Amino acid sequence: MHVINIQNLTRDYGAGKGIFDVSIQVRKGEAFGFLGPNGAGKTTTIRHLMGFIRPEAGYCQISGLDCWKNRDEIQKRLGYIPGEISFFDDMGGKKFLKFVSDYRNAGKGSRMQEMLERFALDPKGKIKKMSKGMKQKIGIVAAFMHDPDILILDEPTSGLDPLMQNRFIELIAEEKKKGKTILLSSHMFEEVERTCDRIGIIRSGKLVTVDAVETLRERHMHTYTVRLDSPKLAADFARDFDGTCDGNLVTVAAKQSLEAIFMNYYGGKENA
Amino acid sequence: MLNMTLYKREMKGSLKMLIIFAAIISMYVSIIISMYDPEMMATLDSFYEVMPEVMASVGMCTGATSLIGFMISYLYGFILLIFPMVFCILRGNGLIAKYADKGSMVTLLAAPVKRRTVAVTQMSVLISGILLLLAYTTGLEAAIAGTSFPGELAIWELLKLNGALLCLHLFIGSICFLSSCVFSDTKYSVAFGAGIPALMYVLQMLANAGEKADVIRYFTFFTFFDANGIAANEGSAVIGTLALLLCAIALYTTGITVFCRKDLHI
Repeated sequence: MHVINIQNLTRDYGAGKGIFDVSIQVRKGEAFGFLGPNGAGKTTTIRHLMGFIRPEAGYCQISGLDCWKNRDEIQKRLGYIPGEISFFDDMGGKKFLKFVSDYRNAGKGSRMQEMLERFALDPKGKIKKMSKGMKQKIGIVAAFMHDPDILILDEPTSGLDPLMQNRFIELIAEEKKKGKTILLSSHMFEEVERTCDRIGIIRSGKLVTVDAVETLRERHMHTYTVRLDSPKLAADFARDFDGTCDGNLVTVAAKQSLEAIFMNYYGGKENA
Repeated sequence: MLNMTLYKREMKGSLKMLIIFAAIISMYVSIIISMYDPEMMATLDSFYEVMPEVMASVGMCTGATSLIGFMISYLYGFILLIFPMVFCILRGNGLIAKYADKGSMVTLLAAPVKRRTVAVTQMSVLISGILLLLAYTTGLEAAIAGTSFPGELAIWELLKLNGALLCLHLFIGSICFLSSCVFSDTKYSVAFGAGIPALMYVLQMLANAGEKADVIRYFTFFTFFDANGIAANEGSAVIGTLALLLCAIALYTTGITVFCRKDLHI
């Protein structure tokens, strides 16, 4: 059964804004990457999943429950990182996390400490005075501390430094191994590529393609093999350009940027 | 029905405001009650003769002979209307609309807590604040009147009067709450939540000020709060009070329903 099931979801904001006829299914234990530029409709889709807004047409379900009618039931096993972090400014970080935990009635077995350590976060001090990255970390801790089975992550690494981005990607890989279902939205191809099994690309509110990461990678990655003068040179070259070395031969891959991939879908030369 | 974690947080948020308003009310109530003095009445009546419109517009009129009549004239026309009303406006906006506007509503809804529970909790916080403020006022009035003028103030009368005042403020609170639930933008929530009660109060002032403007009285809900009528056990005053209470219940219920059904772009 699909844990996350979005069927023909439509929400028209007028002037071409909104989402149109979006259908996505995510299986249990699968990580689904939701890619698209700013304003493409990622957050709107996620708001439907969270039960914040009601679908105009179509429906969405999580674990077989309707996202609008049974939103509180769904939330029991769901962790969410909002795209735009806005907490209670008047609270300190630690107090806020305690509040969220009590508010959810999460009780014992909280992963708060583990999460704080993982992201090297000291939640002292007022949230208002925290940097964007700090706030993002608080958001990550708040989403993971009750150990949810389903994760909906809206641009979860924005504001994090590369080291923390890596830690986050490791976390996602671990959670996936535990059989958790993940929907991760991003505008960075690399982030999604490293964590997800399948990727859906949305643009102007329409789902353009849903494909396995491997397929997309093969389709949009070109590999070149170059011969260098010596194995030493080849090894250095392979290290610098992230390629694989075989004697004097080095194979390197050129990744297309997300924009280039979009161009493939919108430039009228869809290469099947 | 209630989420106690949220209730506690919000009550903490109300506390500072409650203390400030309690302090202001304490000051006025103690000064005004201590001014009660049959001889002083003559002075105040002379003010009234000099500028009747101004005095009447803030609900002060002559002929207040008993202590309760004096209090109705000088406390229940302005001070005990305005300050709890300001509390309702500030708090009412902060409880729902501010969260939706700033996006921190996400924290409250991305949890296994029904929207109804969130709304009922926030409503309870507003009502608790109003109750606390008026209970404090009642206690204070009884204490000051009891020590300064023993035997002058009948507690039952005071309770009746403040019961009616409570219904009025519950109604004002319900306007602010509904406005907070309907609008996800603080700007509009405040415009309606503060604008309607303030406009109604201005109309009440105009209606009080002159004979010709008396017709305005039919356009403001403050008319339903008839302090002198309550003190005199008039049936119409009791009906007015009940009307306020029933409207308050209707508006709170509407507010909760609207909040449960509306789209939140958070």
